[in-house]
Amino acid sequence: MTKHRHTLDVVDLTIEIPNGMRLLRDVSLNLEPGEVRALVGESGAGKSMIGKAVLGILPSALKITSGEILMEGHNLGSLSPRARRAAVAETAALIPQDPLTALNPVRKIGPQITDPLVRIRGWSASEARKRALDLLDRVHIRAPERVMNSYPHELSGGMRQRVLIAAAFAPSPRLIVADEPTTALDVTVQKQILRLIRELQRETGTSVLFVTHDMGVVAKISQKVTVLFAGKVMEDAPTRDIFTDPGHPYTRALIAATPSHADPNRSFSPVPDSLIADLHRQIAQDDSLYRGARP
Amino acid sequence: MTMMEPLAAMTTETQPALFSVRDLRLSFPDMAHKPLFGAAPRIEVLKGISFDIPTGQITGIVGESGSGKSTAGRVLVRLLEPDAGEVLLDGRDIAHLGEEEITPLRRDLQMIFQDPMSSLNPRHTVGHIIATPMKRYGRGGTREDAAAALVKVGLPAEFVSRYPHQLSGGQRQRVGIARAIALEPRFILADEIVSGLDVSSQAQVLELLKTLAQDMGITVAFISHDLSVIRHLCDHVIVLDHGEIVEQGPVQAVFDHPQSEITRTLLAAIPRPELDDSWFD
Amino acid sequence: MADATALPRARGPRSLNLRLWLPAAWLSLLALAALLAPFIAPHDPLAQDLLMERLPPFFMAGSEPGYWLGTDSLGRDVLSRMIYGARVALFVALIAATITCLFGSTLGLLAGYYGGWWDRVISRLVEIWMAFPPVLFAVLLVAVMGTGLFSVIAAIALIDWTRFARVIRAETMVQARMDYVDSARIGGANRLTTLAGEILPNVLPSIVALLMLEMGIAVIVEAILSFVNLSISTDDPTWGSMIAEGRGAIHFAWWVLLFPLIALFLTVLSFSTLGEGLKQRFDPVLQ
Repeated sequence: MTKHRHTLDVVDLTIEIPNGMRLLRDVSLNLEPGEVRALVGESGAGKSMIGKAVLGILPSALKITSGEILMEGHNLGSLSPRARRAAVAETAALIPQDPLTALNPVRKIGPQITDPLVRIRGWSASEARKRALDLLDRVHIRAPERVMNSYPHELSGGMRQRVLIAAAFAPSPRLIVADEPTTALDVTVQKQILRLIRELQRETGTSVLFVTHDMGVVAKISQKVTVLFAGKVMEDAPTRDIFTDPGHPYTRALIAATPSHADPNRSFSPVPDSLIADLHRQIAQDDSLYRGARP
Repeated sequence: MTMMEPLAAMTTETQPALFSVRDLRLSFPDMAHKPLFGAAPRIEVLKGISFDIPTGQITGIVGESGSGKSTAGRVLVRLLEPDAGEVLLDGRDIAHLGEEEITPLRRDLQMIFQDPMSSLNPRHTVGHIIATPMKRYGRGGTREDAAAALVKVGLPAEFVSRYPHQLSGGQRQRVGIARAIALEPRFILADEIVSGLDVSSQAQVLELLKTLAQDMGITVAFISHDLSVIRHLCDHVIVLDHGEIVEQGPVQAVFDHPQSEITRTLLAAIPRPELDDSWFD
Repeated sequence: MADATALPRARGPRSLNLRLWLPAAWLSLLALAALLAPFIAPHDPLAQDLLMERLPPFFMAGSEPGYWLGTDSLGRDVLSRMIYGARVALFVALIAATITCLFGSTLGLLAGYYGGWWDRVISRLVEIWMAFPPVLFAVLLVAVMGTGLFSVIAAIALIDWTRFARVIRAETMVQARMDYVDSARIGGANRLTTLAGEILPNVLPSIVALLMLEMGIAVIVEAILSFVNLSISTDDPTWGSMIAEGRGAIHFAWWVLLFPLIALFLTVLSFSTLGEGLKQRFDPVLQ
């Protein structure tokens, strides 16, 4: 067994809603220490759901019906809910999509970063505060003291996202799930935020599961890619291979659909309807086999 | 910079500009800093900008959030009234027209919104949404007319009886386009219309807009923060920063020889779908 | 997060929504009883018979056939009085709540959509109005206008319109910021058309829910006013006056108090549950 060397193993994960419809179909992926894996797909592909399942924050209507999630070799499914929460809090952190709703509007920034440090890591208040100031400095916030004393609405969107990145890295997690952290931001701010995540990730050696719909972002931030369509893995490959020699027609279509101003003559083209129809047909076949195989 | 004359290229077009905007100023009250008594201080959103929208072409308006690009667009279709300046439509100043005078003009000045979920009334069927403005302007408005508009944007006619929430994001945005073109307007303002869509439908929606605009001879102002999209779609581009125009001209020229720092920054910030180790540097 | 929208809508048991049908059934039964009171009430609700006083309900020893829910201390039939009481309760609920709703919602819509001067005047009025203690206000009103059904209705409308005005104003303000409002104006709609044709349909479910809640409240307010003898004449049976009369005999004739109390409780609960149910039913997105 070499599995314990991975920070994260998702093995044949299937998630269903109560009526038996599958939202994730036998998804497997892994993350090595210090690696950034992009989880790319369009809305409805189930990419955010994987992140939520890993962190144990799936909506209650969704059930994991088969498969395993191993965090540093520990099978989360075999733990009690309490032990599972502790294990996840110990190992992993989240950078959420929407920096406005992810921060409590009536509390100052400071305690929102330091509380988890005290609770999870058992640090003293002053240690936690020192760590928070250090991290705010590392995400290039010029007046960390003042930001700690601010309320979320006093900060811009980009600043709030920096704060959330600082908060995610503060407890030194070995795994970070970044759930479309730049979707709500301008391109210029997006670039700064991506740069920050990359910087901190390289310094700390944290593994990152980076959920995104943007093939451009994938190309810049990740070393490995999992391409999802309708809850099924289309392709799992190193980023280099995905862009030099994509193996799956859907991956090729996604890249071709992303506009690039570098080459104005390369018009970007929609994902062909025929391809989408084909993929849906395959998945429907899968589903009927799956239903047939069930007792 | 603010008094920049429109480029020669624009004025030598065979047709005169549809819109000529001169020294446009607009400010909002800043309620966050309103004193307990007395008026709130005002934030200047547009600081005296001048530009032309050439007839029959697609003009991109680009900038970061807070640059005033959406505000400028909303002045063109007169959802907002400017504090000062002229908005000449065919040489007639519409900047301060009242509701009664502007309503007849609205048929010609349509808009497609960023978020089709919020711009399509969830209580109305797609057919109702498309047909109501048509009836208002005496351009038909039967179920068949609405269905015809849907077919024109590549949606099945039976969508007339659907509700917006029953459609996908891309389909909703097509409904937004169908509603706008059903009135056969002369001008359409497209405000960040693909930023909420998946890449697969983005390209489709842009292609559709481009084709329809060409076929129907509609002048388009296309607001976006994504210069890649602007380059593929637009003939001209206006770059805004903090309420001022920093650069404008034909797309080719602006992209090949960006004159302003903000244009260069915007160009460099787009993550292109290709490997490039030096992108972060 | 985007994935959440792609979740197939959970298909609830569409066949029979008990939250909707149970209260509807109780209220229909009540309405029917109120309408047909003279035909279905077993006895004259005012007929006294001191030989028949404090008969227990049918399931207890000593009950008389025909007096299903027993009699009160004057020998009047409890069931018959409850049926006639339903007339008063429902009449007040319907009329008072409708008037309150129309008045309050209109002001709320105007303040929320037009803003500015409209909003300042209406909001100040609401604030001033709400500074009065409502029960005292009602009692004063009835004292000035004299007892009677219409004083009760006027009191309810005059006190509770602020509830509609406040909630509908807030809801309208949220809707007024939606792009579909701008979109309607781009489509040539004037402001009044936009308010009535675009915003109102989106606020309507809240109005209906509030209306139902208000009907329940009206039933309670009427009961309270009859309890303190400020509603219609003391002879006419109302649930409130029955509860007031039953209070003195609670230790040896509890049924005189309990049955009208249960009716009151069920009716108020039904109205508010029905309101929530209708609100969900009206929502095309939730369906």
